[in-house]
Parts: sequence; structure tokens; C-alpha cells
Amino acid sequence: MTRLIVRRLLLLPLVVAGASLIIFGLSQLMPPYQRVATFIRSPQELKSFSMDQLVKKYQLDAPLHVQYSNWMRELLSGHMGWSEVAKQPVWDAIMERFPATIELTLYAAVPMAVGGVWLGTQAAVHHNSWIDHLSRVFAIIGWSFPTFVFGLIFLMIFYGALGWFPPGRVSVWATQAMLSPEFKQVTRLVTIDALINGRFDIFLDTIRHMVGPVVTLSYLYWAQLQRITRSSMLETLRQDYVRTARAKGLDERTVIRKHARRNALIPVSTIIALMVLGLLGGVVITETIFSYPGIGKLLATAALQLDRTTVLGITIFYSVVLVVVILAMDISYALIDPRVRLD
Amino acid sequence: MTHSRRFVYLAVAAAALLVLGAAGLVSAEVRNPDTLIKAAYGEPETLDPAYAYDTASGEVIYQVYENLLDFDGGDLGKFVPLLATQVPTVENGLLSKDGLVYRFPIRKGVRFHNGNALTPEDVEYTFERAMLQDRSGGPVWMLLEPLLGYSTIEDLAKDLAKVDSFDKVPPEMLKDVYRKVDAAVEVEGDTVVFRLARPYPPFLSILTHSGSWSAIIDKEWAIAQGDWDGSENWVKWHDPKAEQDPLYDKANGTGPYKLVKWEKGVQIILERNDNYWRKPAPTKTVVIKIVEEWATRQLMLQSGDADIVIVDPPYLDQVTNMPGVRVLRRQPWLASTAAFFTWNINPDGNEFIGSGKLDGEGIPANFFSDIDVRKAFNYSFDWETYIQDVSKGEATQARGPIPAALPFFNPEQPVYKLDLRKAEEHFRKAWGGEVWRNGFKMTIAYNAGNDARRIAAEILEQNIESINPKFRIDIQAVQWPTYLQAYRQSKLPLFILGWLADFPDEHNFVVPFMHSTGTFAAAQKLPPELTQQIDALIEQGVSSTDPKVRREAYYKLQQVAYEQAIDIFLVDRTQPVVMRDWVKGWYPNAIRPGEDFYRLSKSSG
Repeated sequence: MTRLIVRRLLLLPLVVAGASLIIFGLSQLMPPYQRVATFIRSPQELKSFSMDQLVKKYQLDAPLHVQYSNWMRELLSGHMGWSEVAKQPVWDAIMERFPATIELTLYAAVPMAVGGVWLGTQAAVHHNSWIDHLSRVFAIIGWSFPTFVFGLIFLMIFYGALGWFPPGRVSVWATQAMLSPEFKQVTRLVTIDALINGRFDIFLDTIRHMVGPVVTLSYLYWAQLQRITRSSMLETLRQDYVRTARAKGLDERTVIRKHARRNALIPVSTIIALMVLGLLGGVVITETIFSYPGIGKLLATAALQLDRTTVLGITIFYSVVLVVVILAMDISYALIDPRVRLD
Repeated sequence: MTHSRRFVYLAVAAAALLVLGAAGLVSAEVRNPDTLIKAAYGEPETLDPAYAYDTASGEVIYQVYENLLDFDGGDLGKFVPLLATQVPTVENGLLSKDGLVYRFPIRKGVRFHNGNALTPEDVEYTFERAMLQDRSGGPVWMLLEPLLGYSTIEDLAKDLAKVDSFDKVPPEMLKDVYRKVDAAVEVEGDTVVFRLARPYPPFLSILTHSGSWSAIIDKEWAIAQGDWDGSENWVKWHDPKAEQDPLYDKANGTGPYKLVKWEKGVQIILERNDNYWRKPAPTKTVVIKIVEEWATRQLMLQSGDADIVIVDPPYLDQVTNMPGVRVLRRQPWLASTAAFFTWNINPDGNEFIGSGKLDGEGIPANFFSDIDVRKAFNYSFDWETYIQDVSKGEATQARGPIPAALPFFNPEQPVYKLDLRKAEEHFRKAWGGEVWRNGFKMTIAYNAGNDARRIAAEILEQNIESINPKFRIDIQAVQWPTYLQAYRQSKLPLFILGWLADFPDEHNFVVPFMHSTGTFAAAQKLPPELTQQIDALIEQGVSSTDPKVRREAYYKLQQVAYEQAIDIFLVDRTQPVVMRDWVKGWYPNAIRPGEDFYRLSKSSG
């Protein structure tokens, strides 16, 4: 186990460097004149300088390795550059938004995983019963529903009509309360900070705001998870050792929980990890619809506005997150399935 | 009840809720009575008044900082004192007869948000700092042109040192630059004196509230933040990158609202300045929320969680009859759009002009130098359809480079109208009949995603191709950087762009639209004899303080633009304003960046 962790940690800088080279290389496919346009802030600047002067000014005609090494040098010294879309240093932009993404991941991952696995298990155990058919309908709807449609319908009903679950992260009054000197921002996760500060009203307000994105994400992921869990469970339930367990006279609940589900969860855990990874990367559409200030929204805006620096910065950051999550995933395999010989 | 039946009932209930939601059955009581919430999109670039050159930044600066003068409500031709106690005029002796010296007595008893008293030295520092900072592409050319006669501080330095690059300017000369800047703005007792390099009638407009570049900052505070120290060693603070600018995310003005927090990508929170020198604002808190998704903004408006929302014209129908919502249509706005002909196209590797010859497979580089071609294109454009399809009525046909809201706009100026018969006449005459005989092929590009430009191009394509089957126009979507590059290099035979006013003066429109160095006109490559005439008229308009002389110059420019069919002047844009009906005190102003929250309050009835 230790060797695995060490090996993965040693791989981390290589993966990050590889990702940075690929992304940087892709951005270089644009000629300097096109890239210079991403630096121009107003027509007035075009009035003052010719295109050639602007290319020189922004060092866009330097050899590739020079541009790349300049950027990497900056990166390694802790400077990821300036984000044109966020109007702040890229690192600050990421650090400001990532807690919101983590918080959304935390609250969405648990119902997503528990609900999806439970539904899938029920469908498999009650194979071809009405529960199975109903869950199939549920899955088909979830799978075929575009996120933005589901999110908008949720907003229209539960915010527009009922006023229960507003968009955003917190209400204005809660923001103001959090800005007061008495309120200590310890984790930057609003729900946890609210509880630390004994502000249950802010905690509840934040939960209210998170219901929309969490339900939207959970439902769509449930649909996928429950189908995968069902298939995996059905396959496992047909295994000889399950038949043996039943023949030994174990009650059905023990057979399902102790023998079947644990093995069936191996492929499911991979899917859950990938979903969590997706959540950590920010969920662009959901964040946009619910006006939720996470990292996905920032990345999408940056990509659309050709903010190369921000895209590169987030990609590097995300590469690190990716490696860490994959490492955690490998460790979880070992925990779930002792047969996995990691060493 | 069976499970499937329960499922159907649930679905019906959900659908009913959906309908109720869409119907907007929300409470009509005033929500958040002491907080004004605006849902908008677009992040401020900076909170440094000298650096900001976008409306999102301008709106925040407008609430927090103040200028020497203000407009009288929505009247852009009338000034009222703000941090100055009088408006300089020749009659009151504060404006010299030659239009070169302006004196502003500075108001006493005004304090910045940090408690520092406003002094004339703050005003002097504000303008000198701005001119020396002069960031690339920033707004400070508006101060440099009248005060020093140059568009950039680097141009002045290069000119003084007689070198071709700012890097080569010797340190001694840089001190001379500082001395010139220092001499342009001086303190005399309680008065600040501006000495202009030449008469410049728009100068008062440039200084007036709405232009962040002239918002007054606190010298002591700015220096404490690490900004320019007031010395002659100024280069360190010149043309900073946004992240190096000490004031980019801080604010300390004299205005009715104080900055509480700029939560990037989320919101800007402002709080009432209870020590304001005028009566404090009626509303305690202002929140400008950044909500990019229209559906979310709509629901916020419907639920009352937003008091004012930005609504793009295509969505206006969705809020027009919303209960509890007031929609003000066609509010004045100083923004114009035109389709610009490139009179001398750059043919190098140019994919937009086909064969580059008048052989039916392309157009020659000087295709639009023939006035009949330009007139034919003008007569082929359908303004009515364009205004309806693109702007949903939020625009009027432009009568030339000067928008209707400005005083020297000529309402009698003739305009082109859709007339395919006349278009055909001109096409038959163009290029000695060759255009008609051989036909032509060209490409109109637009930046991908810009539907307004696409529709304008399609209107021209459909109408022109209907005149003669040998006429072919292709429409091509290109990325914005490509579009920018191609128009700058004079490679686009026709390009469509808009201009939003910096200050409410004709000069701010005729320069980009017509001057030989103008943002758009420079790329058009008009012939020298025409540019000489135009540039002379523009100079006449900006050099005189006599309204008669200015009127004559600007009327003549509008006439030249029409007679020469320099461009297809498309629309003067207006803007819709959408708010809850409990918002009181809103008034129109065509130049103001966003709202004047100081005048707004919330009450039912």
C-alpha cells in the first residue's frame, strides 16, 4: 500500500507536466495575431499600437520553448498569471471558487452514491418486479433529461412558484453577516463555517441554496449509478459463491449485504470516483443555471473568452486534483477488494 | 391507490406547479425593503477610476466615487456642481474666453469614506496620477488630448525626447513630462485650475459624473495603498498590469455608497455612506449580483429577489406582462452600429474577396471606392426588418455617425431606405457597367455568436442576390480574434461594429467613425482628399467653443457621410430597463453606466 502511494505521488509531477505541455501546445495552434486579440482590452489599444507592436509587447513571437519556460517559471514561483475573466490572479480565482465546488461535491456525492447504489440494489434484488420497472423508468427519464432542462424546471417550481430554494450560494443578509468581523472564516466552506460560528440560520440558508444544484446533480447521477449497480448486482447474484451462501442457509439480507453487494460495488466505486472527479472539476451547466460560483463556471467562461492563462491555470490545478482522486480510488479498491494485489 | 397511479398524480401535481411558477404567482409585498438588488452579467474590470473603461466597473465607481460636476438628471447638455461648487463659464469668470483655462472651486466639508477631508490637492493628484498612469487601452486619452495635446503620455515623452520608442526616453526627459503634467493641473488656494493645450469643448463632459476617469480619489489613501507618491519619478506606476494596480479592488470615495465587498464572479456589495455630504441615500444596501443565465435572472425578478435586471431585447416579451414588473422601453443610450466599407482592401492572402478581380468570382481591392457600389449596398439594406428581428424595437435607424441624443445631430439629415429599384440603378452604373455585366462574389464575415451581425449580413445577402443572379455574397462566421485582426488589417470588404460613447459629445463619435486615425475609419482606407476634408471638419468641431461653429462642422460631417455613402449607418441603439414596480426614483440618462442607486428607493404603492 505504501509503495503504491509513493509511486503515485512520484507520478504526480510528471502527469502535471504532461498536461501542461499538451494544453500549452494546443493554445499555440493559434497564430500570434489571433492570440494577441485575447490580450487586447479595448479598441483604444488598437489605436495606439500596430498588431506587430502588440505581438512584441506581449512576447507572442518568442520561440515556443521560451514562452513555455517563462510560463512554467512563473508557475513554479507561485504565479499562475492574471485571469482576464475573473479580474484577479488565476490562483486567487481558483482558491476563491474551489471551496464552493468542494462544498457542492460534498453535499451532492453522498446522496448521489447512497441513493444510486440503494436504488440499483433494489432493482437487482427485485429483478423484473414493479420496483425494477419503475426504477428503469426513473433511470431513463434521468438519463434523457438534459441538465439545464431539469435545473430550470426545478427553479421554476421550487423557486419561481414556491420560493423555497433560491439560486446562488447564500442570501444577501447571510453574506453581510459573514462579512462582519465576528464571523470567522475557518474552512471557507460556508455550512461548516456557519456551524463553527454557531450561526445555524446561515447554515440553513446555505442548505436552502444548495438543494437545487444537489437535487439536479443527484438525480442525473442516480439514474446512471442505479443502472450500473443493478447490472453489477445481477451479475454477482448469479455467481456460485452467492448460491453457496444461500445454500448455507444465510438470510437473504446477509447474502445481499455481506456477499453480493460488496463485490458488485467494485465497478460502481470506479464510476462514483469518476463522478466525484467530475463534480470537483465543476459542473458547468448546473453552476450556471443556479448561479453557483464554482470552478466549472470559471473554466467555461475562460474558455469562451479565450482567456488562455486561466484555462492553463485551471487545467494544471485540475491535473493535481485528478491524480489525487485517482490515488484515493486505487486505495479504495484495495480496501473494498483484498484480492487486488497492489504490491 | 396503485403505485403507477400515484406516479401519474405526482406528475400532474408537478405540471400544475410548473404552470403556477410560470404564471408568477408570487407575493406582491416589497422584498428586502432596505436592500436594492440588481441582477446583471459582466464582471467589473477594476475599481481604479483611472484604469476602468467598461460599464460594469463604471457602475460601481459611479456609486462610490464622485466627480467635480454632474449632469442635471438626464439632461446631457446641462451641468450642475458636485465636488466643485460652481460650473465654470465665461460669464462667471471661471472659464477663460479663449477656452483654455478652467477653474473649479472645491467644495468644503466633504469627507472620503475613510474620514479624510476632500482637498484641492486630492483633485490635482487624481488627474496627474491618471495622466501618468495612462494604462494601455485605457480611458485617459480623454484627459491627455485636451490637457497636453497628445493621445498617450508615452507620445508626449517620445516627442520631447525626439526618440521613436518610450524605452529610449532619458530619465531627465521623464521629469520634463512630469513637469508638463504638473503644470496642466494646479492648485490655487481652494481652487483647482486646468490649463488646456487647446480649446476643447467636450472637456466639461469628460469631467462629469459618469466618466470614472475623472472620479476624485483620496491622495493620502492612494499613496498609503502603494500608488504614485506624487513625485517626478513616476515611471514605476506607469501602464501597470491590472494585478499591479494598487487600487484595482479597493475603493475609497466621497460618494453615497461605500464598497463592502467585491466577491468576484458573484456580487458587489455596497453600503450606505451615513456621513455623506448630501442627504444619505434612502436605501441602506446595494447588491449588484452577477447572474449570467437569463432564466435565473428572470426568476429572481419574478420572485422579487432582484429589483432590477438586465434583459436583452430577445427576452423582453417574457417580462412585458409579468405582474409587479415595470418595463421601460426605448430608453436613450449613446450607442451606434454601422457596417463599414473598406475602400481599399488589403488583398494579401485575402479569402474574403474571391479572385480579387471583377470577373464574377471576386471583387477588386478598390471595389467600394466606387460610390455607386456603396449607394447600391445602402439601398439594399432593410432597416425595418433589422430593427425588428435583432433589437425587438430597441433601436432606431441611424442618420449618420452622430446619435440622435446629441445636440448637433441633424434630424433633417436624409437617410437611405430600402429601395431595390434604386439599388439596381446604382449597380448598373457601378464600375462603368462591369459590375452588372460580370457580377461579383465576396464574403461578409461576422464574429461567431453575434446574431445581430449575422442578420445584418443576411439581409444584405438576400436583397443584393435578388437584384442580379450574378451577384453572390457568402457569409462566414469567424472567431472574434480573427474578425478583429482581419478588420484591423483592412482585409474585410465590409465589417459591422458598434461604438458606445465615452462622453456625450459629437467628437466622441465622429473620430472613430470618420477620422483618418479613428478606430473604424482608419481601417477603411478612405482616399486622402476625402480624409483631409473630414479631418479638417472634425478639427473645426472640436476646436471651437462657439455652438454655431460646432453645429456647422457636425452638420457638414453628417452630410458628407450621407452623400459619400461612407458606411451603412445601421442603428442608434436604445435600451430597455426592467425593474420591480416598487422601485422608485429611476430616471433616464443616456451616458450613465448602469443605475444611479442614490436616487432609488423601494416602496409599495
